[in-house]
Amino acid sequence: MLNSKASGTNSNAQPGPAADNLARGEDTRGAVKWQRETVSAAGVFVVCIAALFLSRLINPEFGSLHQLQTILTLASFLIVVSYGQGLTVLIGGLDLSIPSVITLGGVLTAAWMSTLAPGGAWWQIPAILAVCAAVGVVNALGITLFRIPAFIMTLASGIIVYSLCLGVTGGTPGGAAPASLVTLMSGRVAGLPLVNLFVVVFCVIAAFVQSRTSFGQRLYAMGSNAVAARIAGIRINVMTVSTYALSAAFAGFTGMMLVGYSNGATLRMGDPYLLPSIAAVVIGGSSILGGRGTFAGTIGGAILLTIFDMVITSLGLAQGWRTMISGGLILAAILLQHEGALDWVRSIVRRRRSTTTRI
Amino acid sequence: MSTRARPDFSFIRGVMTNGVTMVVVLYVILYAVYSHIEAGALSVSAFSDLVNNTIPLAIAAAGATFVILLGGFDLSVAGVLSLVNVVLATHPLDGAGGALISLLIAVGIGAAVGLCNGILVAYGGLQSIAVTLAMMILTRGLALVVLDAPGGGVSDWISDTLTNNLWGVVPASGLVAIGVALLWALFRRTDTGVALYAVGKDQTAAALSGINVKRTRCIAFVLAGALYGVAGFMLSAQTASGDPNAGAPLMLLVFASVALGGTAFSGGHGSLYGSMIGAATLMLLQKVLFSSGVQSFYIGLFQGLVMVVAVIFVNLITYLARRSHRHA
Repeated sequence: MLNSKASGTNSNAQPGPAADNLARGEDTRGAVKWQRETVSAAGVFVVCIAALFLSRLINPEFGSLHQLQTILTLASFLIVVSYGQGLTVLIGGLDLSIPSVITLGGVLTAAWMSTLAPGGAWWQIPAILAVCAAVGVVNALGITLFRIPAFIMTLASGIIVYSLCLGVTGGTPGGAAPASLVTLMSGRVAGLPLVNLFVVVFCVIAAFVQSRTSFGQRLYAMGSNAVAARIAGIRINVMTVSTYALSAAFAGFTGMMLVGYSNGATLRMGDPYLLPSIAAVVIGGSSILGGRGTFAGTIGGAILLTIFDMVITSLGLAQGWRTMISGGLILAAILLQHEGALDWVRSIVRRRRSTTTRI
Repeated sequence: MSTRARPDFSFIRGVMTNGVTMVVVLYVILYAVYSHIEAGALSVSAFSDLVNNTIPLAIAAAGATFVILLGGFDLSVAGVLSLVNVVLATHPLDGAGGALISLLIAVGIGAAVGLCNGILVAYGGLQSIAVTLAMMILTRGLALVVLDAPGGGVSDWISDTLTNNLWGVVPASGLVAIGVALLWALFRRTDTGVALYAVGKDQTAAALSGINVKRTRCIAFVLAGALYGVAGFMLSAQTASGDPNAGAPLMLLVFASVALGGTAFSGGHGSLYGSMIGAATLMLLQKVLFSSGVQSFYIGLFQGLVMVVAVIFVNLITYLARRSHRHA
């Protein structure tokens, strides 16, 4: 695993020995940071591809085009929800209300869209997303105005939202999926599943927003050093509110996608996404303390988790072993991102560079 | 001069900013409400029921306090509770001696998980929330491997004796909680106990004054794990059967208890007693809501609100105290 990462950086991160040699005396901390994120993201994708090849040994069906489409479809929920989680982690927070908001989005979708307007009126989608985003706004207000730790605030709001969903629906949410969402989840365009195209477009836009816009840059600044960010003129409160609102809105949208996929809402539909959403972000190389990480890495983490889930399921292992393997994976990912492991990779890269320049 | 002229103010401020006092007051008020709603609330059986329900959460919250005092988070509590529960349910040992061995096994499991957490966080320099998340998933999986569906049975001695009243009045489980509180009182005075607060407040200063920060951190995780083991043991005594997901619903309540008990999540401020009484308050709140006819669906709503209000209140008190301190 480490070797593949090392060779990956070696080919990626070399602008040329001569230019590198000239830049040697300058401040290279920016380059080091860039390198770390590239290492993590590239590493995750390398592991993904390796896992796909290895999975062929278990079941020759794996790795086929059809299988890839299924993986991408199943990963799409996790990708959308982890983007929101990743943004809150980026500013040094955490969103534990995600499963409840997924349920909220799903329950509202099934209840409103199918009964109020079976034909599918478009105003309902933004309305549901706005309700979900409101949960995020409340989270952020608690965190910034009342100085409640993000962990506690989102945990509490998660219980509250879930309790409300439970109470209002009486334990059995009704309704069915509206036609528009069924089309999104199971329709096909030119032989490709529509949802795969949607996720690819989503990833491109999301990655662009996080890494290329000033909004994204401000998030990185806040996560690296909130005090410095405030002094630099970033409005911390506004940024926090919009981040948590986005996270909740994406969770709500995941709920809508799930309703379209399984044609109905259940109260426990969000539960399987809390831990994987954090795991995908961590595996993708983001620091849980904030200020570091790329969305590309998170996408890789989400796909990797989905592949592993699929392989483990096809092995016919009991639920307990599956859970243990995913726990071990997360632990391995955390260990690999440890400073020591990265320093080791860097020292190898440096040694190779110095030998090439000497020759 | 001003500080000497008004010694009573600083005393009041000390009491007010002490989370324990506030939560005790809250508990007494809630109990008064409870006895008003429910006629039998003051009877021995109602009280011992309440104590029995509270103890597993109280001891688990006590354990979590160790890590939170250091400014960390320990999510492994849910996994350890489930693991201990299923081990006790699948390997029941009869008699008092068997119960003692079971207790040792429970503490051993918890301490072992805590040691893994401690080594990775303290010596490995990894983030506590990430490591304990992975450990929680691992232990939860292990619990499912030991027992894949609810079932099994805890030995009769444990489930009978520990839920009964000694001499007809004192709930046996309450004695376990008092035992934990006494051990904390002793631990608080040891060098490690003092070091725990010092590291939580400012680890650089603690390290400069000769405290072994890594060792303190590691010990905190091990002690926390051991207490989760005891909590799992008491939980098994309550439920008398095994459930691989027994710990999951308690995780939120553990953090809510610690928050209610006035322990700051930034570390270095708070105590074990607060968390235990916080746990008692949460369980009492559940009872009050239940007996006042609130639908069980909405109990989570109140628990969440109490949790948020408790943290806001502690923050507000600390802020006001700091401000009056500055003006004095």
